[in-house]
Amino acid sequence: MAESWVTEDMQDIVGAVMRESISHPVSVSDIRKWAIAVYYPETPPRNFWDEAFAARTKYRGIVAPEEFNPFAWSTQQPSLTDPKVSQTAFSERELGVRPPDFKAILLTEIRERYGPTRIRPGDVIRSTVRISEYFEREGRMGHMLYTTLANEWHNQAGEWVRTTESVFVRY
Amino acid sequence: MMGDGIQVKIGDELPPFSRKGTLEHWNRFAAVNYEFAPHHWDVDVAKAEGFDAPFSMAPLQLAFFHAMLRDWMKENGRIVSVSAKLRGPFFKDQTLTAGGHVTAITPGEEETMVNLELTQTDETGRSIAVGTAQIALHQQGTNTGVA
Repeated sequence: MAESWVTEDMQDIVGAVMRESISHPVSVSDIRKWAIAVYYPETPPRNFWDEAFAARTKYRGIVAPEEFNPFAWSTQQPSLTDPKVSQTAFSERELGVRPPDFKAILLTEIRERYGPTRIRPGDVIRSTVRISEYFEREGRMGHMLYTTLANEWHNQAGEWVRTTESVFVRY
Repeated sequence: MMGDGIQVKIGDELPPFSRKGTLEHWNRFAAVNYEFAPHHWDVDVAKAEGFDAPFSMAPLQLAFFHAMLRDWMKENGRIVSVSAKLRGPFFKDQTLTAGGHVTAITPGEEETMVNLELTQTDETGRSIAVGTAQIALHQQGTNTGVA
């Protein structure tokens, strides 16, 4: 096993809140575009784009696909004028810790859990991200550092919507 | 309610969900997910990182699992959890097919919990991803075949 890439400073930030974000209010257009992008080149299910149809479903209106991301492009917090942080990546620098040098970073595993509350147009979602775990392995690409990020989402009423655990590998 | 009801038993296979890996598709997903890492579209970057060709975004592959589950259960339930472990890249110009089968059924008072194992393979049968899911089926729309 090669020397560990996990420094004491990195261990110290495990469990600490790395990032809190607040989405803009979700729009029907956001949901439509997401569904179109996922189902392309086929037409997505009607309940994601036809408001009259969706009103007759059990949700009584359009709800977002479970995997929908309301944090793409722009958020209320952080604002556009703050340093840009991709919601689909991360860096220990967000907590003032120097990350290891690496050639590539890949998302290798995703675990999603959902509450019964769906995201609807008008919802404002709060995201709280923490590093929950580091582990290392030797792999095809050499020494590989795995980092698990836990991302909890709640809506404006404080209802739990979703928790995502994303496992990134750096090598 | 527009649900048609659903019959479930252990071993049931879900209708597969397939998509070809095209930049036309991935560009659309990149746009809605703000996901512009060059290894998804630049062959030189992909090769520099050790891959033969550009490859898909993991969240899109996870979305395929969700789409397959939704297409199957329609209005009869809700997704409780979905996970995916990526086994190998979903390269540009390959065709990904997602599949799944029922592994466990646990009736409850209001919902029946259904566990599934999920797979994603390319046209050669190479494993791209494996995963699991749990869905909760509404009792009135469910026939589990469980006594």
